[in-house]
Amino acid sequence: MTLPFMPIWCVDVGGSILMIVLSVGALFSALQLRRKEPRNIVWTYLMWVCYALMVFAVSRSAGHILKQVLILMGREEYWTPIRPYSGAINTFSFMVVGSVTLFFERTWTIYQGIVRDRQRLESAHQESIYLNQNLEQLVEERTRALAMSEHQYRRIFEGSKDMILVTGRDGHLLDVNPAGLEMLGLEHRPENLSEYHFSSFFQEPQEWQALWRGIDRKGFISSAEVDLKSPNGNRKRVLLSGGLEGESSEEEGGTIHFLVKDIEQQRMMREQMAQADKLASIGELSSGIAHEINNPLGIILGYTQLMLRNELEGSDRAADLKTIEKQVRHCKSIVEDLLNFARTSSPKKELHDIHAVVEDVLHFIRQHSKLDGIEIRANYDRRVGPLLMDEKKISQVLINLLMNAIYAVGGRGEITVTTGMSDNGQKAVVRVHDDGPGIQSRDMARIFDPFFTTKPTGQGTGLGLSVSYGIIKNHGGDIRVESTPGQGTAFSIVLPIPADFNGR
Amino acid sequence: MKAVFVTILLLLALPSAAAATQGHAGPEGLYAHQMAHLFFMFAMGLLIYWLRRRRLIDQGGWRLIQYAALFFILWNLDAFVVHLLEEQVDVLSISRPERWQMRIETPANWSWVGVVYYLGKLDHLICVPAVVFLFMGLRRLIRAAPQGPTKGALP
Repeated sequence: MTLPFMPIWCVDVGGSILMIVLSVGALFSALQLRRKEPRNIVWTYLMWVCYALMVFAVSRSAGHILKQVLILMGREEYWTPIRPYSGAINTFSFMVVGSVTLFFERTWTIYQGIVRDRQRLESAHQESIYLNQNLEQLVEERTRALAMSEHQYRRIFEGSKDMILVTGRDGHLLDVNPAGLEMLGLEHRPENLSEYHFSSFFQEPQEWQALWRGIDRKGFISSAEVDLKSPNGNRKRVLLSGGLEGESSEEEGGTIHFLVKDIEQQRMMREQMAQADKLASIGELSSGIAHEINNPLGIILGYTQLMLRNELEGSDRAADLKTIEKQVRHCKSIVEDLLNFARTSSPKKELHDIHAVVEDVLHFIRQHSKLDGIEIRANYDRRVGPLLMDEKKISQVLINLLMNAIYAVGGRGEITVTTGMSDNGQKAVVRVHDDGPGIQSRDMARIFDPFFTTKPTGQGTGLGLSVSYGIIKNHGGDIRVESTPGQGTAFSIVLPIPADFNGR
Repeated sequence: MKAVFVTILLLLALPSAAAATQGHAGPEGLYAHQMAHLFFMFAMGLLIYWLRRRRLIDQGGWRLIQYAALFFILWNLDAFVVHLLEEQVDVLSISRPERWQMRIETPANWSWVGVVYYLGKLDHLICVPAVVFLFMGLRRLIRAAPQGPTKGALP
């Protein structure tokens, strides 16, 4: 087939010129890019590709143009020796472009790593410069912050109302705050604090062993209720939490941090509430029984007295009936006490001077009791004004307390009755103190229980204190007891002062 | 130094048989050239793969450079076929009976080879767009690049 040569010639020559122009333009663009970011290896790659393509374009296009010109001139044979050089340069330029591209991906990945390392190095360098320039200031700031933190924690430690205690892992004291010193009964921080062992402050040493085992096993102990020795010899109920710090439990060393809260007041309140609940239950039961027994006793007493009228004085029958009458009256007295205890009979309250009542009672006691060797003293606070009370019932309470005190001191001792005010003058206190042997701690919880008595059989019914308790509660007051074995007992009657007389 | 340079030029310009080395006459130059075309094609394919893997084609400049690489692959294919056909003297005979005419002779039923050869000779229709895309891509990269020299930021 015969085809026109013109299209090929035009495309060849025109294309060659365009190739030269565009490849040179591309090279300049790549150089411009590289000037913007000389250290960017991607632009370096593009520059090398453009160099190779320009060489290829110039070599090939110049060759083609020359070839077409020679063909037009009829001198095609001159192209023959030039052709291998043009072809070789083209081949070389292809190889350059291919090689640069082939190895570029790897180079680019390595370059990325270098750039990242350089950025990290520069960042570290900047930080190092900053630290060098500001080291002194930074140290000063940190020291100040540390001192402030230390001060804050020291204030918490010193100011805490609960005991904060640090012991070694073996239980020997290392540090304790002022509240802790007070709780442990130490007046000031001893020099040889580490010689004290925490267990020596426990009322029951086995409680310390149980706590220590718990801490050793779990690393901590939480909200354990234990009894510590109180400075006055009593026990003090505390809530204790602690944890092992520092070394692991398998190794020696480390410290135990304790936080100890005094809950003695809460415990006493709890026990008082339990006691009140118990007495209320017993009171309900007693009042039910007393009501049922009281009526038959009245009938028995009535008929006994009727029968006694018809009997001759001094006869055996009259003597028997009198015995019945006496025992029935005794039973009625007990029933009456039970009813008093159960608060079934409301007190007839009138304004009375408490000091006059106390004086009457003391006079009565002195008249009717054997007080040889026993001294009764009275110490009155005359600021206490008249109180709303049932005089007879309060007298009964005071007689009960004084009779108990006389029994407690035995044949020789001292009893003191004092009056005073408490709760900012809103309550009056009558305190009966004896220097007897005191009440055993195991009996303390039961002294207000009905029929509980430490007296020999026949000498006490065990209703005195329980009846007194009921009477005082019925007056809106309270009765409290403090006793130290070997140092005596003090009962305090607390009665409200009427609003007109308490200064309000 | 100058003497060495002149000697190398003479050796390149006037090649002659050397008893101690193997001769490279005949088709070896053509084979090397064809292999270079294939290598160029492979490199451009690799460039496209790399641009796509690095997600650089999300940027307009690199997308145009990707098109340039694609056109270079097509051009290499075209050039490779044309070079191959020029060496097939059994199926293709080319002559110039007139200055502006081209005669392509092929065996019976092989006339399509002549058409392929004729169209393949118009290879600038492929390689010129390739360089145009390359140029446009570079210009767009210049516009997107930060102003002034930087400390080697990653693209």
